Amino acid sequence: MNETDKARLALVPVLAERSPSGRIGRTALMKYLYFLQTLRGLPLGYNFSMYSYGPFDSAVLADLTSAEVLNIVEAQPVQFSGGYGYRIKASSHAEFAKGNALRFLSIHNDDIEWLFLTFGKLNSAELELTSTIVYIDQEFADAKSQLSTCEMATRLREIKPHFSRERINGFVEDLLQKNVLKATVRASMQSC
Amino acid sequence: MSREEVYLTDLHKSYEIRCPVHGFITLNAWERDIISHPAFQRLRRIRQLAWTDQVYPGAMHTRFEHSLGVMHTATLLYSTIRQESAKILEDELGYKEAGLDRDLQLVRLATLLHDIGHAPFSHASEDLLPEHEHGKKYKHENYSAAIVRTQLQDVIENHPLNTTNYGFKADDVAALLEGSTTARQRLFWRDLIDGQMDADRMDYLLRDSFHAGVQYGKFDLNRIVNTVRAIAGIRGRAPRFGISQGGWHAAESLVLARYFMFTQVYFHKTRVAYDIHLKGALKELLPGGRFPRPTSEELKDFLKWDDWRVLGLLADGKGGLHGKYLATRSHYRLAYPSPEVSDEEDLALVEKIRDKLGDMIVAVEESKKNWYNTGRPDIPVVSDVDPSTVLPLSKYSNVVFSMKPINQILLYVAPENSEAANARVKEVLEDERNRQGSLGFSPSIS
Repeated sequence: MNETDKARLALVPVLAERSPSGRIGRTALMKYLYFLQTLRGLPLGYNFSMYSYGPFDSAVLADLTSAEVLNIVEAQPVQFSGGYGYRIKASSHAEFAKGNALRFLSIHNDDIEWLFLTFGKLNSAELELTSTIVYIDQEFADAKSQLSTCEMATRLREIKPHFSRERINGFVEDLLQKNVLKATVRASMQSC
Repeated sequence: MSREEVYLTDLHKSYEIRCPVHGFITLNAWERDIISHPAFQRLRRIRQLAWTDQVYPGAMHTRFEHSLGVMHTATLLYSTIRQESAKILEDELGYKEAGLDRDLQLVRLATLLHDIGHAPFSHASEDLLPEHEHGKKYKHENYSAAIVRTQLQDVIENHPLNTTNYGFKADDVAALLEGSTTARQRLFWRDLIDGQMDADRMDYLLRDSFHAGVQYGKFDLNRIVNTVRAIAGIRGRAPRFGISQGGWHAAESLVLARYFMFTQVYFHKTRVAYDIHLKGALKELLPGGRFPRPTSEELKDFLKWDDWRVLGLLADGKGGLHGKYLATRSHYRLAYPSPEVSDEEDLALVEKIRDKLGDMIVAVEESKKNWYNTGRPDIPVVSDVDPSTVLPLSKYSNVVFSMKPINQILLYVAPENSEAANARVKEVLEDERNRQGSLGFSPSIS
């Protein structure tokens, strides 16, 4: 197991433990890792690409199941009206996994703190939306171009038509205030 | 006769290709022209399962026929979802009939072209794709998208069937392949290309089984096609693919087929050994030890690499020591396999054996890094009685519930060291038995 593998396995229980409830769902795990790699530059080696439910890499789920087998976390399905989710929490061998990546976790402690300050209160749907906003912004940043908040809302509604423009604008503005977006610039309301 | 004249006479003809897995696969004139393009014909010279024929001699099939099969399977799945989940598609993604007609054609093109960027011998050589500027390695999907945008742009954009009916840009196909947000609501269909129940997986399991001559990859495709559904997004989340309750046994059989094919074919010890040698030989053969990048400058060079070229170079005695291993079938030997599902103790034992074998070890392969391996499946199953009840497949299937991901480690030595390595491994296992005995455990290591 190389250092990246150890870091990835250690992050699963750490993210669960550091969340306010001491547990996270699979969507939160996926999007938190996306944010850490994309916005804070953690060298995790994931290859996220875009789906209708936001950035996704099946390697994250492979890491989660590895962590379950090694008793680093446990993940229980929980049912609610109209669907189900997973509750992931640290398990008996979490400390062992963290011990294997002490240096990595120490170096990136502030990044994890930033993650929860910035995104810790968002639910699954909001994480899907927010990570999609970040993904669009990154596409434009990678292409060394900009987009206005109006264009962002239009692009997002093409992917997620059920979100209102007002709701999207609220999330985009919040991310702008938190200096998360690189390529998105505010547009006047008249130009939308 | 000009190209335009050919099109006018043949535009609305459909063509059929006989497939050993699916029967007849039907194409339109546009798809036929894309298939005839040299970039697509190259797939005839890229074997689906690399050197697996050294274990299963029938496994000589190529990405060409697989690509046709994925397009066919995706069409079947799309059609059922369209018919059975029309309300979800309309309410949550804004689809009307015309949009669904249009996007079916786009999905067919994307699935047809999803593997066009494979390097020689498919996944076996993917480690030699270069890194891009962000330090991450390119994947074959990046090459597929680049080939669609450049080499295939003309045949996609300027075909009369497209200009008259669809107006698709090559970029529309590429966006769906690589997961760009410009694919808009069509991102929903990406799960048909690369997801838990994608057409790619369904085709390769059946096709690889057929050609390898094994039964492990068989499952009830027709039942899955009949029962696949769009599952409504809940609590503001996006809709996704799932299966109706009546199809959960078929979904279970798909999961099991994948498990069996992984252990018996894709991660077979000898096939893995040949993958190691292929990578080693290619490192010698490729300029700089890596494939050209998917950029406008290097893409044409990349497309010149296919199995024929590699085999020709190997036949000329090139490829270094690994080339010789391949030519003489004198491959690395497995010294120790950890259990398919290894716990901490198993992994600690692997470390002890690694220490004992020392420099004898020439390769360490981990199943979880293999392309065919992924985490536990999470397929939503929607109740036939109450559509608002959606549960994971693991709630229905005791087998899936109990499945653990494979995290096997294989330790290899050179063939000349095989006997000596076996002796050392036996020593470690014996020590371990004695240690467990002294701790009061019953010996469990044989």
